[in-house]
Amino acid sequence: MYGRRASQLLKDFSANEPGQISAFDTENFDQVIKECDAHHLELQALMRKIQEEGLDIQTTRNADHYGAVIHHLALIRNKRCLMAYVYNRAEIIQSLRWKVGPVLPQEVQEKVSYSEEEYFKNHSAALESYMSEAELDLTVDMVPPKDPYIKVRVLDDIGDVFLSDQSPNLARHSIHFLRRTDAEQFISQGLMEELPS
Amino acid sequence: MARYFDIDDIIMEDELISVVYQVGANGVGLLDPGAERNCVEQGAKVELPFWLAHELHMRQAVVVSAPPCFNQKTRKEIQADAAFVDLRSRCPYFYEFGCKVAPLIGDRTIGSFLLYAFTGRYKEVLSKAHSSAFITTSKYLTLLTKEETQLYEAARSSMTAFKKWRVGGPRFERASILRKRKPTD
Repeated sequence: MYGRRASQLLKDFSANEPGQISAFDTENFDQVIKECDAHHLELQALMRKIQEEGLDIQTTRNADHYGAVIHHLALIRNKRCLMAYVYNRAEIIQSLRWKVGPVLPQEVQEKVSYSEEEYFKNHSAALESYMSEAELDLTVDMVPPKDPYIKVRVLDDIGDVFLSDQSPNLARHSIHFLRRTDAEQFISQGLMEELPS
Repeated sequence: MARYFDIDDIIMEDELISVVYQVGANGVGLLDPGAERNCVEQGAKVELPFWLAHELHMRQAVVVSAPPCFNQKTRKEIQADAAFVDLRSRCPYFYEFGCKVAPLIGDRTIGSFLLYAFTGRYKEVLSKAHSSAFITTSKYLTLLTKEETQLYEAARSSMTAFKKWRVGGPRFERASILRKRKPTD
């Protein structure tokens, strides 16, 4: 059946939990593009046939015309599926910039295609240039703050870091009282956890 | 066009619907498994996905017949006990599909039937989502259509968020995209 493989691509995608991403399905993606090419060829062949019979291509409504219409519609459908696949993945990749910071974690990097990685980098660069112009870090305080400081436990050896108001040694299992804005990135990357204060 | 990228909308349009060709079509033998040549004959009865049937219907190339999930049997079952009819196995996008199909087959009763089914089932979905534990509802969840499942999830997550807000506790979380960290000691 026409368009079957293309919609399978989307079914696989939507089987993921919301916000999760699986490896880019290059094989099926390319197959669908090949299907599109095949439809295109059939479409052209049918249109040529109509013209060879000396009929007006605008007004003819014979079996060839409807065959061509079906191939045309199948092509459009495949295109829609491919576009939706790429678009929805790009949405997730874009949202990662706000969740995990300017560098893609290793486990995500394995799953994205080259152009998706480029997209992430460019989105990140655009955001950064805007933020430096506005002199405001938009990616912090994603949860409305109750207190400027929070208590955190370090989950991994981070070492000495310079933060906005102190330079603590973030050894594993140590507990610190940090500015929320400093701690936020570490928490979303899974290097710290927030403790109830 | 607003829903061009909507994955649910795309998958829903893949639902099969049976049509009768009013015209022949060449070069598309794949659509009719019984065809002898590489074409579909006039008068052939074929199952087509909705996206194709819809467009062909607009060109008056096919006549669409009502899909089985809106037949009298289902209607009787909905009337008897709407909340516990297995709609998912009949059509995972029961409501959306119904809305799209209704104008094609010119059946004016479908709209009110959908509304009746939804109002009957809505209460049960919400009360299950708000009150019961997940284990006891897992069997019930297999009856729900995709739309109802989304409703159920929304109700559950708002309930969880409410409970979390009441108890307090940490509000920052690690990004859900990352794998659970294994203890490294």
